[in-house]
Amino acid sequence: MPPPPPLPMLPLLLLLCPRLARADPLACEYREHRAALASPAADPAVISPQDPTLLIGSSLVATCTVSPDFPLKAEDLYWTLNGRRLPAASYAALGPSTLSVALARLNGSRQQSGDNLVCHSRDGGILAGSCLYVGLPPEKPVNITCWSKNMKDLTCKWAPGTEGETFLHTNYTLKYKLRWYGRDNTCQEYHTAGPYSCRIPKDLALFTPYEIWVEASNRLGVAVSDVVMLDILNVVTTDPPSDVHVSRVGDLEDQLSVRWSSPPALKDFLFQAKYQIQYRVEDSSEWKVVDDVGNQTSCRLAGLRPGTVYFVQVRCNPFGIYGSKKAGIWSDWSNPTAASTPRSERGAGGCDPKGGEQNTTLRRELKQFFGWVKKHAYGCSNLGIKLYDQWRVWLQKSHKTRNQVLPGDKL
Amino acid sequence: MLNVTGDLPGDSWGIFTFLCAALCNLPALPALNCSEELGAGQSIQQTYDLTRYLEHQLRTLAGTYLNYLGPPFNEPDFNPPRLARAERVPSATVDLDLWRGLTDNARLAANYRAYSRLLCYLRVLDGQVGTAELRHRLAHFCASLQGLVLSIGGVMSSLGYPLPAGPAGPPAGPPGAPPAPNDFLKKMDDFWLLKELQTWLWRSAKDFNRLKKKVPPAVVTLRLEARGF
Repeated sequence: MPPPPPLPMLPLLLLLCPRLARADPLACEYREHRAALASPAADPAVISPQDPTLLIGSSLVATCTVSPDFPLKAEDLYWTLNGRRLPAASYAALGPSTLSVALARLNGSRQQSGDNLVCHSRDGGILAGSCLYVGLPPEKPVNITCWSKNMKDLTCKWAPGTEGETFLHTNYTLKYKLRWYGRDNTCQEYHTAGPYSCRIPKDLALFTPYEIWVEASNRLGVAVSDVVMLDILNVVTTDPPSDVHVSRVGDLEDQLSVRWSSPPALKDFLFQAKYQIQYRVEDSSEWKVVDDVGNQTSCRLAGLRPGTVYFVQVRCNPFGIYGSKKAGIWSDWSNPTAASTPRSERGAGGCDPKGGEQNTTLRRELKQFFGWVKKHAYGCSNLGIKLYDQWRVWLQKSHKTRNQVLPGDKL
Repeated sequence: MLNVTGDLPGDSWGIFTFLCAALCNLPALPALNCSEELGAGQSIQQTYDLTRYLEHQLRTLAGTYLNYLGPPFNEPDFNPPRLARAERVPSATVDLDLWRGLTDNARLAANYRAYSRLLCYLRVLDGQVGTAELRHRLAHFCASLQGLVLSIGGVMSSLGYPLPAGPAGPPAGPPGAPPAPNDFLKKMDDFWLLKELQTWLWRSAKDFNRLKKKVPPAVVTLRLEARGF
């Protein structure tokens, strides 16, 4: 691919020529060409119905009538639907130059732009086409959930009422109004948090509840969701805590200390943050949650396994905004931070084979070794005893300094 | 740098010398800059690069859009008839000898007109298309295509050619017939629009390659003579 040319001049040129930025769609023709459009040539054939909208499961009989200017007869024609030829058994000649096709129990449209039903002449040429829109009318959108990030905006998401309405292009409009105030407002910024979402970016009112609903409409009908009532203060969420550090507690083998900072965005508002910690062992997918952290910004995890790598995450809930007794919405978890507990002194790196206990230690070491090899050795051909010795040396060296956080460890 | 042909009477010689000095001391005069030939050459190269970049972008855009239209539009051997209505889209196809014989001005003007109209039609498309992903891709492509139009305009200005009249301003006539009488014909129009865009980008690469070889400093001096200095 040729590298894109340097384009710093583009914004400058766009500034200098603002008129070109707003071309009128009706003005794409040059004046001298307008006359040519006045009398278009006749189409070779006409299909009926043209661009119909149908319910899933319905049947359709379509006819293709060749224009008298063209020397084609009904037996010279055939039909395709989305590029696949329809069986001749479903055809019927309704006149010398009219061929019909019967379609039964239609499935939902293959693409939202409509199924392509095409009438062809014997040599494959296209004479005419009709777009079939097959789907279901929308049902009430459901599961409307909203959240406000730092009380600066309100984002809502919902789910379509039925899968059938996805065969057709269904338009969703999120509307809202303040309770006790008459005016309906329409949300403008869609798809901010997935395909069925919308964001209200500003002018949010506090202390008065909002009424929010979603209208869905497509070619087959309209549906309106139930109204959801909420107070912005009850759906506030914030950023995850920053600067999460996990460190050993001296030489204690079964403890780690976690420290973090409260998210900066809400420091201007009166609220108590609540925190939650979750942690797991490196090679497990089971998270343990510590719930009673309260509003401190540090916590000590105890009862851990010695010599094990743990991943830790923290999240925040802006509890009690402006004195309300309700919880807000939990933030996302912070990026995982890793740390390891000190190795237990017994059997630390011991070379004496002592049965089961030693085997587990050795297995764990080998597992870590192969992981390390994959990262550093670029292929199995370099595998060998020399590499293993190199790794043992590296392990010894890093073990001495291995009492701090390993930042950048991602799950 | 400047060639003087013919005889100049004495008083005109003084004026000429003054103008010469003025020209060389005022690089801010865009059309008469002493380093004019470098500017045009660079612009042509940049325009060429832009056509190649757009060609690449179009491949992805067209793939996505034709999939949205559905089969048979996205089949590789799809070759629908070019109905009369499709001639609104400017065709890049041209007789080889005619193409070779185009003057620089005509060559650039053909490109400028074609892309201005293609951009216009693409913008209409942008307003109608269904999925958010497509709208996003189309918007991105339109922005790049607008850059190409402006780039070609820049080359024309730097070589002293007037820009062709743009598409008509606010509609003078009645709103008129809708662009396509039915949805299937509209799909065909969209197909041909993308096809012509592709052909134009191929052709433009060759057009600008040709121009690259043909823009020596002499072009600028010839122009200054023509202006009566």
